[in-house]
Amino acid sequence: MKLGFYPRLAADGIRKNRRMYLPYILTCTGMVMMFYIIMYLAVSPSLDAVKGADTLRAIFALGSWVIAVFAAIFLFYTNSFLMRRRKKEFGLYNILGMGKGNIARILLWEAVWTAILSIGFGLFAGIALSKLAELGLVNVMHEEVTFDLTVSPVSVLRTAEVFGVIFLLLLLNSVRQVRFASAVSLLRSENAGEKPPRSNLLLGFTGVLLLAAAYTLAVSIKNPLAALLWFFVAVLMVILGTYLVMIAGSVLFCRLLQRKKSYYYKASHFVSVSSMVYRMKRNGAGLASICVLATMVLVMISSTTCLYFGEEASVSQRYPRELSLTATFTDERDSSVDPVKPLREAIVSIAESRGAALSRVCDYRYLNVSGAFLPDGEVETDADRLDSFSASTLGNVTTFCFIPLADYNAMTGENHTLKDGQALIYAYRTSFDGDTLTFKRGLSLRLVGTADKFPGSGSAAMDVVPTVFLVVPDLYAAMEKLVEGMSEETEQYLVMRWLFQFDTGLNAEGQQALCKELRAKLREGGEQLIHFEGVTVGAIECRELERDEIFGLFGSLFYLGVILSIVFILAAVLIIYYKQISEGYEDEARFHIMMKVGMTKPEIRKSINSQLLTVFFLPLLLAALHICFAFPIIEKLLRLFGLNNVSLFALTTALSAAVFAVFYAAVYRLTSNAYYSIVSGAREDS
Amino acid sequence: MSILEVKNLRKVYSSRLGGNRVEALRDVSFTVEQGEYVAVMGESGSGKTTLLNILAALDKPTGGTVLLDGKDLSKIRESSVAAFRRDNLGFVFQDFNLLDTFTLEDNIYLPLVLAGKRYEEMHGRLAPLADRLGIADILKKYPYEVSGGQKQRAAVARAVITDPKLLLADEPTGALDSRASDELLRLFAQVNARGQTIVMVTHSVKAASSAGRVLFIKDGEVFHQLYRGNDTDELLYQKISDTLTLIATGGRRQ
Repeated sequence: MKLGFYPRLAADGIRKNRRMYLPYILTCTGMVMMFYIIMYLAVSPSLDAVKGADTLRAIFALGSWVIAVFAAIFLFYTNSFLMRRRKKEFGLYNILGMGKGNIARILLWEAVWTAILSIGFGLFAGIALSKLAELGLVNVMHEEVTFDLTVSPVSVLRTAEVFGVIFLLLLLNSVRQVRFASAVSLLRSENAGEKPPRSNLLLGFTGVLLLAAAYTLAVSIKNPLAALLWFFVAVLMVILGTYLVMIAGSVLFCRLLQRKKSYYYKASHFVSVSSMVYRMKRNGAGLASICVLATMVLVMISSTTCLYFGEEASVSQRYPRELSLTATFTDERDSSVDPVKPLREAIVSIAESRGAALSRVCDYRYLNVSGAFLPDGEVETDADRLDSFSASTLGNVTTFCFIPLADYNAMTGENHTLKDGQALIYAYRTSFDGDTLTFKRGLSLRLVGTADKFPGSGSAAMDVVPTVFLVVPDLYAAMEKLVEGMSEETEQYLVMRWLFQFDTGLNAEGQQALCKELRAKLREGGEQLIHFEGVTVGAIECRELERDEIFGLFGSLFYLGVILSIVFILAAVLIIYYKQISEGYEDEARFHIMMKVGMTKPEIRKSINSQLLTVFFLPLLLAALHICFAFPIIEKLLRLFGLNNVSLFALTTALSAAVFAVFYAAVYRLTSNAYYSIVSGAREDS
Repeated sequence: MSILEVKNLRKVYSSRLGGNRVEALRDVSFTVEQGEYVAVMGESGSGKTTLLNILAALDKPTGGTVLLDGKDLSKIRESSVAAFRRDNLGFVFQDFNLLDTFTLEDNIYLPLVLAGKRYEEMHGRLAPLADRLGIADILKKYPYEVSGGQKQRAAVARAVITDPKLLLADEPTGALDSRASDELLRLFAQVNARGQTIVMVTHSVKAASSAGRVLFIKDGEVFHQLYRGNDTDELLYQKISDTLTLIATGGRRQ
């Protein structure tokens, strides 16, 4: 069968511009593949067996859209490189008598070929690799797998749809560009010179200021909740700052280098510095993009890896004992009876009937109050009097956990005595230096010692705000004083609770069975078999049961982190490659002139190296700097996931940075060779 | 003493499969004395540019030799050709070949920077030269900011700042208007008066008439040559015109 004229012309165009089109199609293919795999995982039936499958599916569905949006933006970016090169060809066609309509048909066919190639190969590779991805995922989730290859028609269709739309948009954009340009301007577009940018002191300075402010912010924040709030602000500031610094700052920097005559007028610097000045305006954006992408990859990989491998620690922080119960006092104002005693006996007897031997028992009553430290150092507990959305309030919100001395002594085996108005303090994830802690309009406590034998509680680990534990002589007295400073509305949240947690000595199944039995027999609302006066049983948690959920969350985050990193790395690599290739074509003529003037090949090589090294490693260095400053804030954010392992995070960060750098260096070699072959090709043509 | 000796130069281009052979230079021989100003004339396709490329060591001859200051160009190793060119030859091109990423000043410094000269020395050389060429005020500008004539004068400055043994010019007035051309030719004459040897390829009669000697190339051979002697530019112009008419109407070699 004979192909029509336009399809052939389009196919020819693609073949002739291999050097530009091949990476483009490969990237499209890669994006299609990634999208399919993620879509496939989101609907894969073998995920049903995985615990926490719902979390997983939700995360993957979200991830697939992230990839789609990113692919669209990124393909637009790379397509503009392609169009820049093709315009000359189209201008020639135009002059030779082809109408804009005919050119649009060529463009249409090119889009069709590209779409067929990349969606076809992408789906093929996606289907082939989806099982591998699934195996990897299920392995990450610690589950068994079946080894049958399945294709998900829904995902295939959705992938084809999404990328079909992206290619259509790209086509419309190209047609628009050709439509509104004259033949001569098309012909010349590639060589359209540009004025060397003037160094913009103000912009560069703003960029540096933004970066400095973001860094200061990231380093100075102590509180995970504030970190969550400010993280995105800091991220935006860093992105904007990076762009400004790269675009304006780099020009400024090169200008300064030029002014230093003994540096500038050296054969190895002369050409590279001046051509960098010239193209920094445009390339600054590219470099900044690479830097932002690199930072994103590093943050993502290091934090999700850290979550994944720090999972066990996180689980045991959140659930310090195998089993944990909380109960709420329904009539807490009466101190004469102890409603906990029959409940405790019931729990112990159920546990022992299942063969558990209770150990590491944690058993205390407590009272949680939220409050914020005011600038004068006192604590406001009345939410109505606080500007709850102001950042300074958020940063100072603290949970105060009151514990009766009797329970503390019984639990730790110590023998403290406290007078009225005295307390022991233990500050968790925060610090308190004063010797008196005062609540507005009520309780004032003199701190006489620290409750450092405190075993900690899972809820404090889970809480996003820090906790201050206060051991007081009489919980009821403290409660009455606290109530004085509260509005009626706040007051109703002031509830006394009882925490009972312990290890059982049972295996995992035994623990889970025990937990289920306790839930069935004790918990309000279900088939509650035993009733107690004055107390309602709340959460009954079993570490073994909850672990799966956490695994589901962290495992899928880790997995998605890896996949998104691959996508972003692909993007970064391609930006670099295209930048260098298109610069290579621009520089071809320049190096040609320089060779005529007497530049030797080794000198060209040297000059290219010095230029490429800067272009490549400037973004990487800046990304590394970003990571260093992002480290403290991300470390705080990870605490929200119950992860408190700084050294693990430092390790994963350093490792991901190292792996990334190695990979980056490899790309550098490849690109510099391609660039050199273009530039020195001028020699052979002359 | 002759600075350039061209003997029996021959250049054959063959298409990639060796099928179609084109003899660009058949048998070219001439010499250029130290301090001479020679114009090479000929129509398009007569082999002028091929000759210049060989003189510039940008291309290798098929046969014959080129001796620059007694040194055989074809004996220079490929790796040191660029350095040789930088140190011994200066170029002025029709389309200026200035780098748009450099200011005029930096463009002029380029060969010296490549030769590893210090800034103070380069600056010392440029200052008087820029004055003579009338570009002292525009040194800090970029090529796209100045006129064609100014660009070409900067290109001349770049060509002569290395004190080359030979200045090669390829249609230097080709892209200039008549006033700028006149100015450039006056400049060439001036540079030549200071002892600079110049070989200029051109098909502009006007340009050729500023030279001390004119070589005519036709069909790959030196067809004729004219010496200025004591002629004025105008008289030489007339003689060149006559010769060209003779060539065009198919006159026999004299």
